[in-house]
Amino acid sequence: MQPVEIHEKIQNTFGADVAVFKPELIDPAIEIQPEKILEVCRFLRDDGDLKFDFLRSLSGVDLNDAFEVVYHLYSYAKRHYLVVKTRMNREEPSVDSVAGVWPTANWHERETYDLFGIDFKGHPKLTRLFMPEDWVGYPMRKDYVNPTEYHGIPCTREEGAPVTRHEVEGHPTVQQAMHEKKCPETMGFMRLNMGPHHPATHGVLNLLLETDGEILKRAVPDVGYLHRGIEKLAEDNAYIGTMPYTDRIDYLGAMFGNHAWALAVEKLAGIETPPRAEYCRIIASELNRIASHLIGTGTVSMDLGAFTPFVHWLRERETINDIMEFICGSRLTYNYMRFGGVARDIEQSTVDMILRWLDHFEPMIDEFNRLISGNEIFIKRLAHVGVISPEEAAAHGLVGPNLRASGVNFDIRRDEPYSIYPDLKFDVIVGEGFEGEVGDSFDRFYCRVLEIRESVRLVRQACEAMPAGDIQGKVKKVLKPEANEVYARVESARGEMGMYVISDGSDKPYRMKTRTGSYTAMAVMEHLSPGLLIADLVAVFGSLDIVAPEVDR
Amino acid sequence: MNALANLADQFIQWAFAVNPAVWPYTWIVQFLFILAAGAAAMGFVAAFAGPVTWVERRVAGRIQSRVGPNRVGPQGILQWLADGMKCYLKEDLIPEGADSILFRMAPYFVFAGMFGTYAVLPFGAHLVATELNVGLLYLLAITSLVVVGLLMAGWSSNSKWALFGGVRSAAQLISYEIPSAFSLMAVILVTGTMSMQGIVLAQGGWPWEWFIFKNPFLFATFFLYFTAAIAEGNRTPFDLPEAESELVAGYNIEYSGMRFLFFFFAEWANLWIMSAIATVCFLGGWQIPGVSPEYIANATGWTWVGLQALTFVIIAAKASTLVFLVIQLRWTLPRLRIDQLMITCWKYLVPLSFAMLVGVLLLMVFVPDGSILDWIMRILMTLVGAAIALTYLKRIRYTYMVDRDNYKKMSGKELWFPPYRLP
Repeated sequence: MQPVEIHEKIQNTFGADVAVFKPELIDPAIEIQPEKILEVCRFLRDDGDLKFDFLRSLSGVDLNDAFEVVYHLYSYAKRHYLVVKTRMNREEPSVDSVAGVWPTANWHERETYDLFGIDFKGHPKLTRLFMPEDWVGYPMRKDYVNPTEYHGIPCTREEGAPVTRHEVEGHPTVQQAMHEKKCPETMGFMRLNMGPHHPATHGVLNLLLETDGEILKRAVPDVGYLHRGIEKLAEDNAYIGTMPYTDRIDYLGAMFGNHAWALAVEKLAGIETPPRAEYCRIIASELNRIASHLIGTGTVSMDLGAFTPFVHWLRERETINDIMEFICGSRLTYNYMRFGGVARDIEQSTVDMILRWLDHFEPMIDEFNRLISGNEIFIKRLAHVGVISPEEAAAHGLVGPNLRASGVNFDIRRDEPYSIYPDLKFDVIVGEGFEGEVGDSFDRFYCRVLEIRESVRLVRQACEAMPAGDIQGKVKKVLKPEANEVYARVESARGEMGMYVISDGSDKPYRMKTRTGSYTAMAVMEHLSPGLLIADLVAVFGSLDIVAPEVDR
Repeated sequence: MNALANLADQFIQWAFAVNPAVWPYTWIVQFLFILAAGAAAMGFVAAFAGPVTWVERRVAGRIQSRVGPNRVGPQGILQWLADGMKCYLKEDLIPEGADSILFRMAPYFVFAGMFGTYAVLPFGAHLVATELNVGLLYLLAITSLVVVGLLMAGWSSNSKWALFGGVRSAAQLISYEIPSAFSLMAVILVTGTMSMQGIVLAQGGWPWEWFIFKNPFLFATFFLYFTAAIAEGNRTPFDLPEAESELVAGYNIEYSGMRFLFFFFAEWANLWIMSAIATVCFLGGWQIPGVSPEYIANATGWTWVGLQALTFVIIAAKASTLVFLVIQLRWTLPRLRIDQLMITCWKYLVPLSFAMLVGVLLLMVFVPDGSILDWIMRILMTLVGAAIALTYLKRIRYTYMVDRDNYKKMSGKELWFPPYRLP
């Protein structure tokens, strides 16, 4: 269904003045009155023709004179897409929470509250997500002034700058709130911190556990240790200057950050990309996906105590890193893509190298399966553990392999194609309960293993069909896209990576918001954890393939 | 004890030419002999547990297609000395809030429990510190000290992760004592003695004279014992007490320096213990094929020395093979979950070991030793064992060939590392 029709439908149901249609935007949006947002959202989810079961992203925007909350919606059932906006005054920004409609909104709203200070009424636990609980101010607001010091830690490099001290407002921190809560049902449980330095957390994040012996009462993720404020940095940089930052969002799949950013800006500025550059992008992206899945599947086995498969995968990944060095000059953070092209061409010798490596690598997947995927202990550890049903997966906003493992047949590369994916043949891997039931940890693990094979197919096809020609389209030296906004998404190794970009006509983006796969995967942990064993928690955590910097950004 | 006292008496007669029974200083010499035996056993533990850490790391390196430590000494063989020296020089930390006395004592409990077993483990025909007539019972009893040590370490560290490790190890070790004890009981049934040397003497040098190939029930019992022993030694797939991805490091998380080293010393020394017990009870111990124990006992002079050395080599070769197997398992398998671990023990290993015990009993009653049926069973089981060993070797050859072809395809060069030139 087209946004126009949806707009009419909303007007017919709620009255003409509730919704304003904005066709001038690249992704046409519907603006809703803030009082009605909860009702409209519930209607959008429940109506038989609409069925928006997936909240892609929820972003706050500071418009200087007002605040805006933007909801990007998608329907797996109907395969259509909608942007909903709501505007509120700047003095007391508040809007109804939609966490009851889509559970994934819980964390999105906490983030928006944390960074913009927008109050979501009816939210179950509206506390700061990334910033410390006693932080003063809301950093993503345009009039925010950076403090010079936080608890004795300098926040600026200038010497002699006036010191603005943070006052502790009496807000308890997450840990305090959890540890001081003396409710009867949590009495007698052991509280312990898994992280921020723990071998199973794969990066710096903290899981606050409440356990009864080995059995978990609940696990509350405490994130923000790696929050670098990439969205804020993007607002102070020229469009191309943000490209290296997008590498750092997900360091295991840096190419996808590049690609999403390039796609967003190209859509915004109407830049054409020559075909050879598209092929270069896809070859690099799919190699990167293989590398990322190697780490993802390897760490699952490492978390379960089998160290050898991980090291074998690292050996293969080392060759991908070498190839990447030939393609773009770096091994981890590539900074490869440019608007309308790529930084370097892939030479024929590199293509030969890739094809030779693929010949070597494909039997290695079988070897890996012999070594670990078919291992009885391994299967027993993963099957039937941490089961996520398709409805839960959609409602909690799981994306990518995690979503497909739950049985939802959706892949952005096929269903909302970008770049040259329509020309290439590949299968979308969907979990079918390979050893246990659909949506358990083994499915998530094994879907990734199978996706490696599909990526190998894609790289092979792209390498063979690569046309000659330019690698860089025509782009102005100083990019000043017209005032507009766009939401671009790519299928990254951890699922949908979306970039919501607003331009105000200047050479810097007005707002950039990143929606990542690990973020929602992390948020689902609290929902999954009750009743698991500690060892299961590690397995589920590993199978969700969470990369900590992608959560915090 | 008797063997050592006799040796001391002989030494007194030879050195001082007096009658040891009436000589007033006999006890001093005997005491010195006991000290020397203890020092020799300690030396063996160090000389085994140290290098086996290097072996384990090199084997792991080979399994994981990396190199492993190869810098300290030729092929890195002195790495364990460097590691030991490093740990020795580290600060000895006791965390704030820890129960300092228990915290300090725990490594010694673990070490004592492990080292005590060396008193009865035979290293050769006459190379045994003391020939206890309840040797096997003593072994099972003294290893329980390890549980106390681990629990103490976990409790006294004042860390929840360490406590998890300690409690897990207590639950695990106590549970797995049962199948391992029952498996050893089958051997006691067959031999009618608990003396380690007695058990060895009841077997022979050739494989079909070993207990493992005596009948199908003992064959299964060997694997039951070996599984339980791996679990008691905290090795993968049963290394839950120190599961690094769940509990960070388990009971030893707060330890540093020498105390930390003691735990690991005990773990690797324990590798030898479990393998040596399996060798003695099931794989014929130190028996030389074709040489009768009487011949060894009656030998004198250099023949005696040579035969003793040969028996040591044989028992060491058998035990080392088992040690290597355990290492290989560790670097291949993932880890069980705690409930799966308990299920494996209580639902499978314990009933199975009971059943095997009854089976052995029945065979003892109905199939007398040396009967035709007994010989048929021995030969059949030996063939089965040989088939398993062959399959194992064929698998190794297969993976090696796959590796070799792959290497050639990728680099265009031949892959061949002669055994004397490791990568």
